Amino acid sequence: MRDAGGDGEEERVRQQSRALQEKIARAQGRHMAEAGDVPQVGRDMTGMGRAMRLGTEFIAAILVGAVAGYLLDQWLKTSPWIMLVMLLVGFAAGVLNVVRAADQMNRASPPPPGSDLGPGNDDEEA
Amino acid sequence: MADPNKVDPIHQFLISDIVSFGDGGFAFTNSSLFMVLTVGLILTYLLVSTSRRAIVPNRAQLVSEMLYEFVANMVRSSAGTAGMKFFPFVFSLFMFVLVANMFGMIPFFFTITSHIIITFALAILVFAVVIIYGFWKNGPKFLKLFVPSGVPAYVLPIVVPIEVVSFLSRPISLSVRLFANILAGHITLKVFAGFIVTLGSLGFLGWLGAILPLIMTVAITALEFLVAALQAYVFAVLTSMYINDAIHPSH
Repeated sequence: MRDAGGDGEEERVRQQSRALQEKIARAQGRHMAEAGDVPQVGRDMTGMGRAMRLGTEFIAAILVGAVAGYLLDQWLKTSPWIMLVMLLVGFAAGVLNVVRAADQMNRASPPPPGSDLGPGNDDEEA
Repeated sequence: MADPNKVDPIHQFLISDIVSFGDGGFAFTNSSLFMVLTVGLILTYLLVSTSRRAIVPNRAQLVSEMLYEFVANMVRSSAGTAGMKFFPFVFSLFMFVLVANMFGMIPFFFTITSHIIITFALAILVFAVVIIYGFWKNGPKFLKLFVPSGVPAYVLPIVVPIEVVSFLSRPISLSVRLFANILAGHITLKVFAGFIVTLGSLGFLGWLGAILPLIMTVAITALEFLVAALQAYVFAVLTSMYINDAIHPSH
């Protein structure tokens, strides 16, 4: 009598632990799937956060280019030529920064499926 | 500051010595005090809330665990599992900036992140870590960061300087963004609050008009809390992305 009750109890506990194990495995599987996703950075940035990001990325590159050029000029006594060139290089780097940041933001929040994005580059009518 | 009606929005950023050590210019300033308070609050909260190590957490422990999960997911999603060895670094930076920004929202408190020297020091720290770890792990291959793959050799003389400037601009943009957001927000808040006092000195109609800047002040306060949290998040996300560059230097 006592043994039978003990067995039932044991069986119940075993079932419970098996159910828990499955649950943990499921949760872990989901976690791994999420971790394997494309980077989700910046998905919940506000509009102002994005604007500040793009603005500072752009201006910082121009400043760095101009200052680096100025210092090189001071050193090599070639004022103002290196600074002019580096200002343009800084401008290009700023555009590169902005394109990279925007690309990240686009990847982080892709448009909902089925939305009309206009014609693509490759489906131009010949 | 003799005239109480005169609004001085910059006064709140003044650094004053609390204890000075000799004539060398070394001093324990109000900025240092709030840095110590920030670190103290983070340490105390995390230590106390996790000391029970309960399987079923109470509220305080839950907040600590959520902070951990939040930063851990952020690092994992942008730097991968290999980036998790930098988790303590990113977590410390995130908590420091977050708590410092939030301290700044309390009236009469000093906002340490409103000084560019603080944010620039943090950004340079991030870059020192990225460069040292990048060279230590990848050796000379780390320089591939500046050479995008699939670019023909004859454009490299143009592309490499652009990539170098782009890389060097990161600490500037990282520090200026945090500093400018916090500084501008606090000044705006002070200016609008100052309008209330100035208008109020005009009598009844003035008080009536002062309702408008009062509404603005309340709205900007809410916005500032958002900015404080958001900028801490942005700082930490970009840090983990730059660390990702150090681990995988090729684009």
